[in-house]
Amino acid sequence: MATAARPDASPSSSPAARGPLAGGVEPLRAGKGNSFLLRKLHSLSGIVPIGAFLIEHLLSNFEALKGPLAYANQVKFLNSLPLVRVLEVCLIFLPLAYHALYGVYIALRGKANVIYYPWSGNWMYMMQRWTGYIAFVYIIQHVIRQRFMGVSLPEHPGAAFHKVQMELSNPWMLAVYVIAMIAVCWHFSYGIWLFAAKWGITPGETARRRFGYVCAVLGVVLAVMGLASIYAFVGPNYKNAPDDVMPAQTRLSMPAPHDASLSQGYLARI
Amino acid sequence: MAEKVIQIEIKRQSGPDAPATWEKFEIPWKPGMNVISVMREIAANPVNANGQDTTPIVYDSNCLEEICGSCAMVINGKARMACSALVDKLEQPIRVQPLTKFPVVRDLSVDRSVLFENLKAVKAWVPVDGTYDLGSGPRVFPQQQEVAYPLSNCISCCCCMEVCPQFNDATGFVGAATIAQVKLFNSHPTGKVLKEDRLRALAGDGGVQECGYAQNCVQVCPKQLPLTEAISDVTRDVTLQVAKDFLRA
Repeated sequence: MATAARPDASPSSSPAARGPLAGGVEPLRAGKGNSFLLRKLHSLSGIVPIGAFLIEHLLSNFEALKGPLAYANQVKFLNSLPLVRVLEVCLIFLPLAYHALYGVYIALRGKANVIYYPWSGNWMYMMQRWTGYIAFVYIIQHVIRQRFMGVSLPEHPGAAFHKVQMELSNPWMLAVYVIAMIAVCWHFSYGIWLFAAKWGITPGETARRRFGYVCAVLGVVLAVMGLASIYAFVGPNYKNAPDDVMPAQTRLSMPAPHDASLSQGYLARI
Repeated sequence: MAEKVIQIEIKRQSGPDAPATWEKFEIPWKPGMNVISVMREIAANPVNANGQDTTPIVYDSNCLEEICGSCAMVINGKARMACSALVDKLEQPIRVQPLTKFPVVRDLSVDRSVLFENLKAVKAWVPVDGTYDLGSGPRVFPQQQEVAYPLSNCISCCCCMEVCPQFNDATGFVGAATIAQVKLFNSHPTGKVLKEDRLRALAGDGGVQECGYAQNCVQVCPKQLPLTEAISDVTRDVTLQVAKDFLRA
């Protein structure tokens, strides 16, 4: 029978003749490659700038609870930041694209084994990858549909509330936003915990447990805030918000001095 | 009196490239048996559950007291030491298979030399060889000993690597055991002369950065090594070393 067969006598079957490691996992490539840098950059980018941006975004969304005008003012304020388009590309788009693409690369190379080893850390390992996938898909559609499609909010901040309200009026879209909100807050709060553990900030078991509580509280607070903001758009308080609550915005310009000679005289005095 | 029988299923393959098949055995129960002693009974009477003659099971084992690290295998779906896997505490039929992430030599015997290669790559030793007597080593204070001793308990069984989702062909991750040994030898007053070499080695591809902190290693470790703590500490040291090298370049 097959299992009872003697090992074949050819030299290729003895471990010594095969040489070590034939078919196994490759040993450490000591000091070679740059995956350390890439991986650390991925880890860091999740905290700053992406995590910082997430908090900013959730705080801004929270303004929606005060109504369409407050929300419009927040959008207007953000778009009035100096070099806002440069900030957007350098602190949001580029880091986010890197974190997302390298994150998918990391996740695809891991071999989750929660079925065999159903331990809490292992579950969190798997959840971090799944919430990452959810965030990946969600953020692509979110950026395309809310930033680059429909009315452009940088020019028309007053239209922000209406735009989001229209999006969330579709119950499927609402479900997507709720799931993604929880997934992203989960991913971020566990990401902070992972950052502290992996960068050697919390090496001790007790320190990690305590910091776990801190991150859990943070995650819950962020998710509740995010869900409350979603509620502001779909709840009864601001039903049928106007298309644009500050239509004059685009026509607003700096008043020119009435009397050129007067202002020149003023400048000459100082 | 009806004889108590142990049911055991073993995943067997006759050589590195041979196909694997499961073979069932029914072995008379004796008090205090472990998985290794069951396989010794099979060797004494190599007949499978169908009454057919077969070959004895090939497996690695030595000390039978969970200190040599030889007999790691997957028992009822979990990586563990076969010598401390007591039959009376296992669900039957007991399903035994070789570690899944190491090349099979035959039956339950696997080639774990990747760990040895990794330990060599990080210089996991204290360099004391020389052409003259170096004298007695520096004193190790009890406080240092208390940190080092648990790390020195590693038996190189490779269970931490077997259960690690990041230890696989795609990543070529070094695994927790080697990282823990880096912490051990870096904390040794003589061994730390190679500290920078070890940290630079671990910044290479497959190094500390591949850890996903699933923490399976520390759960499964039969010797309860503080592996996650070691990974945290060593990753911090590696990061600082990389930063230092960058700024001093």
